[in-house]
Amino acid sequence: MRFDEKIKSLVKEAELYRSQGLLNEALDTYKKMQVLIESTQNVKNKETLLKKISNKVDALYHQMEEELSDIKPPEVSKDEQDAIENLIPKDDPEAKGSPEMAAALSLAKTGQFDQAIEKFTQLLSQDSLRFDAAKNIVWCWIQQKEVEKALGRVKQWMVGNVLSLDEVNGVRAYFEALVKELGLDAQISTVNIQKKLEPESEVEDQDILDINSTRFKLLRGSRKGEEVELEISFQAGKYLKMLVPKRDRQLIESVNVGDRFNGMQFYSPMAIFSGTGYVSSKVTISAGPKKGDYSLEIKILNIQT
Amino acid sequence: MAVLNAKNREIQCKIVYYGPGRSGKTTNLEFIHKNYTKQVAGKMISIDTHGDRTLFFDFLPLGLGKIKGCDIKAQLYTVPGQVQYRSTRELVLKGVDGIVFVADSLKVRREKNMLSLKDMHENLKKIGIDIRKIPLVFQYNKRDLEKQGFPLMPFEKMDHELNRQLRVPSFNASALTGESVGKTLSGIMKLTLQNLQKEFQWAQNR
Ligand SMILES: Nc1nc2c(ncn2[C@@H]2O[C@H](COP(=O)(O)OP(=O)(O)O)[C@@H](O)[C@H]2O)c(=O)[nH]1
Ligand SMILES: [Mg+2]
Repeated sequence: MRFDEKIKSLVKEAELYRSQGLLNEALDTYKKMQVLIESTQNVKNKETLLKKISNKVDALYHQMEEELSDIKPPEVSKDEQDAIENLIPKDDPEAKGSPEMAAALSLAKTGQFDQAIEKFTQLLSQDSLRFDAAKNIVWCWIQQKEVEKALGRVKQWMVGNVLSLDEVNGVRAYFEALVKELGLDAQISTVNIQKKLEPESEVEDQDILDINSTRFKLLRGSRKGEEVELEISFQAGKYLKMLVPKRDRQLIESVNVGDRFNGMQFYSPMAIFSGTGYVSSKVTISAGPKKGDYSLEIKILNIQT
Repeated sequence: MAVLNAKNREIQCKIVYYGPGRSGKTTNLEFIHKNYTKQVAGKMISIDTHGDRTLFFDFLPLGLGKIKGCDIKAQLYTVPGQVQYRSTRELVLKGVDGIVFVADSLKVRREKNMLSLKDMHENLKKIGIDIRKIPLVFQYNKRDLEKQGFPLMPFEKMDHELNRQLRVPSFNASALTGESVGKTLSGIMKLTLQNLQKEFQWAQNR
């Protein structure tokens, strides 16, 4: 092929690659041309030709930089969000049988963090999804390098009663691991995370009467707001133990360690009084005739007189 | 995962267009969207931007009529081709029923095709899918450029390099002119429905 034909066809090629977004290939082609021109003798307008090519190369570098710098996730429309929410199939194991979870995970994994956090927050009310939802909220903030916001959320859970003590501890550990993994710990070392400790009681053991049963309002779950009465199976001062049969799943799931019941009623043979109770433990009985049932322990924090 | 709705006899399946960046996946869907208006069952969604935690994908729902008394619905997806969007590709592949691998016939993209096929193989493995079992067809795209004198890989060479072991149907195509775009789609639908038939036995007990 004659020299100018060769150049012409290379120009055409480079232009095609550029128009198709194949910027590296366009760049390589221009570089090939530079080498060809420089190594060929007696080229007419050699300087002008090389100048033209170097302008093209500059423009390509500029375009490449632009593509790299534009790293924000796109703002998506309602239709687009719907399409995103369907990315993870409803029956995917990660979704744990919940279409809402599948949708929230799809949003999170595609960088739609605000919408994802909104959905995960709604899922906090579901017992089987609460822990995963909380961890994912933390994940979404950390992905955006918003350590403070993630921490704020974790702290909120530590004092509130949305999550149980076990769940809070799990989320906290998850948060710390994520922060470390991303090398963000410098920011956190100054922030002191408090441990969620069992709160002190204002009452002395000897001031508490024998209690037969107790009544309190459920804080979450499908029976949220309902008052339940439970018999005390064992009492040690301010610690009350009660049994919840395994068939009463809804009740078991709506009470978590760390829950505080304000205005709880305590019934003793001689009097009825009210006060604040704190759920200090919830365990499954692993042996004996009550195997599988739950033992719930409530610590009396104060008594209204 | 295809959804079989026995009550209203409807089959919903997910077809993914996979391949290196700029091989013409979006152009395939655009052509279908423009030219198969009777089959298009909703808006085409294209989320196309730059960025590393973002997804670029396209989505097009189709209604392909009745086969043996069952309404066939297909959802077409494309994956982002750029290397760094690996996790998005994995996400889009979840629940896939059939794959069109759109390879770029430009000589300069030869290696990218092979890398993308390898990446697909690995992503499928991660989600527990065997590349030899999932319905798959190859499309060697941009064949129109041959007539304009651009350097392309010959069909035989591409088929040898990409399809030697898998031996699935392969098509020369031009998504830009529409050549074999429909053929590719019907090729993958045929394999996918055969596969689902085995799984669900839906065409029997009518
Ligand atoms: N000449 C030609 N160009 C094509 C063809 N298919 C796609 N293109 C072009 O290649 C570029 C990338 O196509 P696109 O569909 O966005 O690729 P994707 O990244 O795989 O979705 C665009 O400029 C298209 O116009 C084709 O069959 N022939
Ligand atoms: Mg595309």
